[in-house]
Amino acid sequence: MKLSCRTFLALALAGLSLNALSAELRVITHSSFAVSKSLIADFERQNGVKVSFIKAGDAGEMLNKLILTRAQPVADVAFGLDNALVARAVEAGVVEPYTPSIDRDIRQQLPGGVVSVDYGYVTLNYDKAWFESRKLPLPRTLTDLTRPAYKDLLVVENPATSSPGLAFLAATVKALGEEGAWKFWSALRANGVKVAKGWSEAYYTDFSKNGGARPLVVSYATSPAAEVFYDKKKPAESPTGNLFLPGGVFRQVEGVALVKGGAEREAARKFVDFLRSEAVQKDLPTQMWMYPVRESVTPDPVFRHAEKPGFDNTPDERTLAAKSRAWVARWTRVVLK
Amino acid sequence: MLRTRLTPAALALLPLAFLGLMAVGPVLRLFAEGAGQPSANLWADDYLRWRLLWSVLQAAASCLAALLAGLPVAWVLARFDFPGRALVLRLLMLPFVMPPLVAGIGVLALVGPHGLTGVDLQDTPWLLLYGNLFYNLPLVVRAALDGFAQVPQSRLAAARTLGAGPWRAFWRVELPTARPWILPALCLVFLYCFSGFGIALLLGGQRYATVEVEIYSLVAYELNLADAALLAYATMTISALTALAYALAERRLAQPLRFEPVARTRAASLWSRLAVAAALGLLFFCGGAPLLAVLGRALLAGRAGWVVLLEPDTVAALWNTTRFTLMALGAVAVLGVAHALAARRSLLMRALGFLPFVVSSVCVAFGLLLLYPAYTASLGLLVASYAFLAYPFVTKNLLSAFDAVPAHLAEAARTLGASPARTFWRVSWPLAREGFARGMAFAAATAVGEFAVTLFLSRPEWTTLTTLIYQHLGRPGSANLDAAMVLAAGLMVLALAAFLVIDRPARATRGGEHA
Repeated sequence: MKLSCRTFLALALAGLSLNALSAELRVITHSSFAVSKSLIADFERQNGVKVSFIKAGDAGEMLNKLILTRAQPVADVAFGLDNALVARAVEAGVVEPYTPSIDRDIRQQLPGGVVSVDYGYVTLNYDKAWFESRKLPLPRTLTDLTRPAYKDLLVVENPATSSPGLAFLAATVKALGEEGAWKFWSALRANGVKVAKGWSEAYYTDFSKNGGARPLVVSYATSPAAEVFYDKKKPAESPTGNLFLPGGVFRQVEGVALVKGGAEREAARKFVDFLRSEAVQKDLPTQMWMYPVRESVTPDPVFRHAEKPGFDNTPDERTLAAKSRAWVARWTRVVLK
Repeated sequence: MLRTRLTPAALALLPLAFLGLMAVGPVLRLFAEGAGQPSANLWADDYLRWRLLWSVLQAAASCLAALLAGLPVAWVLARFDFPGRALVLRLLMLPFVMPPLVAGIGVLALVGPHGLTGVDLQDTPWLLLYGNLFYNLPLVVRAALDGFAQVPQSRLAAARTLGAGPWRAFWRVELPTARPWILPALCLVFLYCFSGFGIALLLGGQRYATVEVEIYSLVAYELNLADAALLAYATMTISALTALAYALAERRLAQPLRFEPVARTRAASLWSRLAVAAALGLLFFCGGAPLLAVLGRALLAGRAGWVVLLEPDTVAALWNTTRFTLMALGAVAVLGVAHALAARRSLLMRALGFLPFVVSSVCVAFGLLLLYPAYTASLGLLVASYAFLAYPFVTKNLLSAFDAVPAHLAEAARTLGASPARTFWRVSWPLAREGFARGMAFAAATAVGEFAVTLFLSRPEWTTLTTLIYQHLGRPGSANLDAAMVLAAGLMVLALAAFLVIDRPARATRGGEHA
């Protein structure tokens, strides 16, 4: 007992002292952040700095952790602020604006000195085999989802606990207007929509492609490509498809920012530039399943299974920051109450 | 006299300081942050009142279901011997380490739309009940089993001689003796289900979510600390009352009676064999089958799936899970023993033993961040969080064991000239040792399975098996699902190994609960 207590203290101290040895750049990220380790190692070597990643949960959770600790920042760089969060982050004063060295050749930009890195689309995915075996035509509009033919077929994530859930809700509000959206969600509820806590729960326990009974799920437009990529049989066609319904597509742009009051400014700026470098931009599509913002970088060929929608229903950053909390509160009453 | 009074107080300092630093301080700090914010009148809100009521009701229903199913199973396991009994008792704890999402996948593989049994329970209340029993039944069975093993042979024999039938003897002798063991388990089930990050909610969908989900979204998403504080105070009051009621009941019910416990008989008669088969069948159905489904899926993943075990990330995660569990167990042993010793005669300390289950995890996680920004994402804080969530098991089991130690034994030792320390070491501790081991095994299971720790800041190099499983399930594709199932199978093997080491059968032949 004594021994393990001593070992515990020794290890804890060792953990603390190791960090103090070389300059350390603290990068806070959401839990889905991933970049190849070799690229990070290259960055560390070239800049003589150790990069410590801190995982802070979902992107919304991460932003709130940054806001709470603004007096004593817990990180120098933050990755994962997206167009739904960026205006709040800027308003709360946690961002130090920065213009990166690579700022041309960029497809999607974020306001407030936050540097865009990747983008993608939240939309409906459908289970191809399910629809084929039942000879049921795919829904063509949001209203179709509220018809008896599509009863009990959709699972969405709770916007109060999941970013894709919030994104899909925002798209419906943008397309239908607030009152129209609540009517739609109320009809959807009557038609048996299921609400899961997060993406993983929806995709792996409710989606009919996996353990569940529902052939329609709110997911990402790149998910069908990931289905092919992570299938050992490497099928010629994805088992799932995108269903780009008008009013059901949200464009998500993710970015990186310098944290106001953070340390290691030089290394922090270099890290932001690094995320826009060709190497990282080429790496991230099959790591995070998002598109690179650099126009000249083409993602992995597997992305041909993930077509881009010709439209999206994304509210602007200010509206998202100002309204999303009220939308979630209202949605909760309409759908869950 | 002074010494005996001083010792518990001194012992209480360590757990009290720990709880103050890890729970009370952070939560108060978080709510102080929100003190200036305007707050809506939450209690005027039908929806939130309904949610709170629902949280209480579903937790109470879970207790009832676990009790109804658990008591007969525990009784059979306590009274009959059969081959493989010791292994069954250890396997019993496995559901405890399964991440809810994996357990959910296992349950659906059996009774989902594509389930093996062909029965589809999805979106029915039966699935909720099933999910509930998966985690809660083993908890109640394990505790009730320990309780039934305390029933003195002489008392039962006396009751039977005086004409009580088996049924009456059960109600009047066996159940009252086991009650001090069963009550804390029910209290735990209530607190777990009340805060509700469980599989039942996962399978039932968010319409069944508890009020803890509201608190999570108010804190983590909306940063609406004023409203979150109101809700959290309400839930913590209900939880605290539960803990206090349990502490009161346990102290009143505690009856040290340790003579010759009822010996187990070999299940030889047809009736006893049927009883054993039924008990094992129910246990297998509720706890074992979903785990086997996960194992089966892992096996089906084939060679391409199993290579995930050789990946450097997996090896690192395995090492992290092992070392964090060991580090946490070191702290858990010290805290658990100190708390149990201090709580033997203090009602308040007894109730405080449940504090880690009473406070809202998300509030603790955010409060820690505010209170100790310099130590965020430090290993010390991470291990302390593990210890915080795990040590109540040691306190709880040790206390039940201490309560069962007859006072006259210690008094006799003292009369014969033994010092209080010697009396404790030679008399009380040997009798309570098994309770300690059981508590440590549960603590290890909690540390290996850690669910709530994901709320705290972490580093990628600290990825554990559980977090690695969730990473795989955070991406689409069958290879990710396969990897998650293989890793879950690995988690089961690791946890089982830990239980076999920690909760070894005692060598003594006192006739007590050896398994």
